[in-house]
Amino acid sequence: MHFINELKTHIIEELNLEELTPDEMDIDLPLFGDEGLGLDSIDVLELILILEKYYGLKISTPKEGKQIFRSVRTIADYIAANQQQ
Amino acid sequence: MKETIYITGASSITPLLPQKPSPYTYTAQDIPPCTYTETIRSACKEPDYKAYITDPAARRRMSRVVKMGLTAALQCLSGAGEMPGAIITATGLGCLSDTEKFLRTLIENKEELLNPTPFIQSTFNTVGSQIAISTKNMAYNNTYVHRGVSFESALLDGMMMLAGGEAESVLVGSYEELTATSFDIQSRLGFFRKGGKAGEGAQFFLLSAKEKSPCILRDLAFAFQPTPDELLEKAADFLLKNKVQKADIEMLISGDGGNEEEFTFYDKIEKNFPETQVVKYKHLTGDYQTVSSFALWLGTQIMGKADSPKKILIYNHFRNINHTFILLESRFDK
Repeated sequence: MHFINELKTHIIEELNLEELTPDEMDIDLPLFGDEGLGLDSIDVLELILILEKYYGLKISTPKEGKQIFRSVRTIADYIAANQQQ
Repeated sequence: MKETIYITGASSITPLLPQKPSPYTYTAQDIPPCTYTETIRSACKEPDYKAYITDPAARRRMSRVVKMGLTAALQCLSGAGEMPGAIITATGLGCLSDTEKFLRTLIENKEELLNPTPFIQSTFNTVGSQIAISTKNMAYNNTYVHRGVSFESALLDGMMMLAGGEAESVLVGSYEELTATSFDIQSRLGFFRKGGKAGEGAQFFLLSAKEKSPCILRDLAFAFQPTPDELLEKAADFLLKNKVQKADIEMLISGDGGNEEEFTFYDKIEKNFPETQVVKYKHLTGDYQTVSSFALWLGTQIMGKADSPKKILIYNHFRNINHTFILLESRFDK
């Protein structure tokens, strides 16, 4: 997916993950929980805004969000699948 | 106030002043002489925030002024044995960069797609709450936003809590940041056209009614838009109330920063104490709503050794509107 680095950059910038670079960001690392990036509920709102602002995609149900925001790869998959539609 | 209030801790994040280990290591000679023609803005010399705010998850959401205020508070509390019974903060303009970011996005995105973080962090009490979260202190927590008397209002609240026995120690502090936008707006409003200088800084103090220190915070007084003569009357009443003679004031920390539009009152007060050594500081810090907290910090640093001044009077006014006096006394003045 050609836009994955761009997506990582948006996540780093919007969430102020200042100690990370796009290259260091493992696309399969869980975004939430102690074993992953440790993001929280406010970050979910920021991620929803990234999808809407940069990719024109709206998350309609919270249940859907849980799957989409598991990792950078799952977000990228969601973008790829829905932007083609 | 009947209760003796000691300043047992003090910290400052400020522009330019040479850093010395606190407390009580400064003398009046350490303050570079006042030169009014330097640049018209002063930015803080900031410490490495990672050393104080160790959790990267907490740090990443904090704007510069939040890190500045929280770090100053943590520095102040670093030597304290007990948790303060109150956290009282003061600011004139609050967390400006987050406010600007939120408002800018509001306009650019036509009131849609607004990021939650700048909104949450733009409130005036962000620093006070971050201090509470960081130190796990659930005590009384209040923030004063009263323009040029924000810091003094917080200080008065802290002093009243100690005098009323509501707490044994209180943390009182202020924070202010200078952003490019606020500097531009203030410049356009003409605040610096007659020699004024913009500034920023964060100062925190631990006040105690129980633990002793060399520096006693004796009293403070306010005056709202006085005439020069009313101001002198206020000063005389303040000294009388505290049973202090004019000649007892060994040092006057004056808020004169070279702004011609604000000079009249400073000149009046300085001439009223002809025998007193006058120290000025705004050529180092610039001017901002809560800058008198820097004067208090300076007073606490100068006071406390055997040969230090026994009584220091701090006088400041913000844009000729809010005038304040703070009286410091050495514990050794007995």
